[in-house]
Amino acid sequence: MTWNDFIYFAIPAILMWVIAGILVYAKKTARASEVLMLMGIAVFTAFIIGFWIHIERPPMRTMGETRLWYSLFLTIVGYVAYKRWQYPWLLSFTAAIAAVFVIINLLKPEIHSKSMMPALQSIWFIPHVVSYILSYAMFGSATIGAIILLHKKNQDKHIFNFTDNMIYVGFGFLMLGLLMGAIWAKEAWGHYWSWDPKETWAFITCAAYLGYIHIRLKRNKKTNNLALWFVIIAFILLMITWIGVNYLPSAQHSVHVY
Amino acid sequence: MPQNKKRNIGQFPWRYPESVLVTGSFILAGFILQSVAGEFNFYLLAKPVNYFITGFMVLLCITLGLFCSKSKFISWFSGVEMSVSLISALLFLSLIMGFTPQTTHSHSLFGFDAMTSSWAFVIIYLLTLLSLGILTVRRLRHFQSRSLGFYFNHSGLWLLMLCSGLGYADMERYIMHVREGETEWRVYNDNNQMKELPVAITLHDFDMDYYPPKLAIIDLDNGDVLPTTNPDFFQIDPDMLQGKLNGWKIEVEEYIHQAVRNSDSTYQEVSMPGATPAIRVRATKDHIVRSGWICGGNQAQLFMTLPLDDKTSMVMTVAEPRKFISDVDIYTQSEKKISTQIEVNKPVSVDNWTIYQYGYDNKAGRLSSYSSFELVYDPWLIPVYIGIIMLMFGSIMMIWSGKGRKEAINDME
Repeated sequence: MTWNDFIYFAIPAILMWVIAGILVYAKKTARASEVLMLMGIAVFTAFIIGFWIHIERPPMRTMGETRLWYSLFLTIVGYVAYKRWQYPWLLSFTAAIAAVFVIINLLKPEIHSKSMMPALQSIWFIPHVVSYILSYAMFGSATIGAIILLHKKNQDKHIFNFTDNMIYVGFGFLMLGLLMGAIWAKEAWGHYWSWDPKETWAFITCAAYLGYIHIRLKRNKKTNNLALWFVIIAFILLMITWIGVNYLPSAQHSVHVY
Repeated sequence: MPQNKKRNIGQFPWRYPESVLVTGSFILAGFILQSVAGEFNFYLLAKPVNYFITGFMVLLCITLGLFCSKSKFISWFSGVEMSVSLISALLFLSLIMGFTPQTTHSHSLFGFDAMTSSWAFVIIYLLTLLSLGILTVRRLRHFQSRSLGFYFNHSGLWLLMLCSGLGYADMERYIMHVREGETEWRVYNDNNQMKELPVAITLHDFDMDYYPPKLAIIDLDNGDVLPTTNPDFFQIDPDMLQGKLNGWKIEVEEYIHQAVRNSDSTYQEVSMPGATPAIRVRATKDHIVRSGWICGGNQAQLFMTLPLDDKTSMVMTVAEPRKFISDVDIYTQSEKKISTQIEVNKPVSVDNWTIYQYGYDNKAGRLSSYSSFELVYDPWLIPVYIGIIMLMFGSIMMIWSGKGRKEAINDME
């Protein structure tokens, strides 16, 4: 299965996700919405597996390839979180964002060659990337929660609880990704932490979410708002870490491609 | 938690205003110190100073955490508000670092261009270590098994920060160049100064393997890959024998990964260091058919192109390396002899040294007559790894329980 086949999987997946995101709001069709969501995930997963087999290396080398995983994880996290917390907006927002990332990949595919430089050939490569992208997906859904909370005058305890949980679990994956990256760096580049621009930004992102977690240990109305703003700023910093770093003048010599 | 009555700043219990004020003052003091005294010299911490500081830090955390935990000052210093302020301070300093290109030695007034050796960063780092250490000891006094995640995360981070920060001064990195068949123990540091090490390496053989290269069509006038605006490549792939390249239909008739040229300009498979990839293709466009061998060449063999018309030719790109392997014997002063292969991502550890594949003669490629190694000495690596593993356990516990039960914050008040 090559990149040329992507469109035959991408379009059905997008359609199923978007329709699922609409149907979830009506009680009668909520069941159908779940089925559609899962079918979309299955179709998308099938493509990733086929593509992986074809290129004979994990499809995680280029920015476009990480977007594939982001779409997949976001829909999975969105579905599981919806089942757990019963918020329809979770399903529709995650479906919409996943669809946007798929469309970006359709319009701006990147070179998907088979070669992978020796430093990337490590057992830490897959868990490092998967763990990170998974945490990004969770932080994405936590951010949606935070925006809804800031928008409402009356803060809904359940949504706040959801945001807390997403950030705790997301932070666990973020730390695992970072630590596995450190072990890998020791094996490949001689030191576990070199303040490579990507590492500096990973540290920044980490500190921002750590700040949120600590603010939430003592709660009152003022710190609640501060905490919610931390979630939003942290997510902006996260996006810079993931996508923006390569455009910064301070990061022209990073060893990270994405 | 009942809302506090109105209190003046500085009156205990201290909360956010005091924490932010104190942290901010320390950052400011760091900036002033930097502008007066210049950057912090990390190598002042080299052995035995860092051992002394480690001991002092441990004693301080234990004493303050165990015996002064009733003190309002200590509960504030290791409390939530101070931790948020310290984390925000680290966030602030690392943000400056993220936007400023970093160099090894600072040339700016406040040290923004070498943040990790600026006074402000070092001071906040030490304060964080102290606050974190005291809190961990305070919480360990009332051990609760349900706070296991807390202990793993906080003591793991403490160990990691302490040993990576202080251990940095004891780290040594050198480059060693070894010729095939020879034994070497002389190395060079960053400033190209030579040093003799207690580790010697004999290089038996250096070899590398390549990925199949790509095909491209170039403009014979200037050598640009066509189309110039968006160069097109055909990735050679034994599973995909057909494809398109800049309007030409490509059929792969034969691909030899390790090929040697015959006298009649055809190629045959020979596995030897001077071999290079070669391909026989058939290219078709508007009933024009071109076919023949294409080869990228190397130091030992000429390249071969397939002319398409007067102005363009099909060529092979330089292959990307898949693997570098050095076959070596390593000797140490402790009279160990290790026969092994060193590859990228597969370093070899012996005593406190880690030996990495570093480089080779780029122009010669597989024919390189030498191999370069990086030798890293890091005696603080083991406690750092213990810290990393503890943090990993802590992270897994966070994933497992989520926000879960409310952390036992109130016993800290």
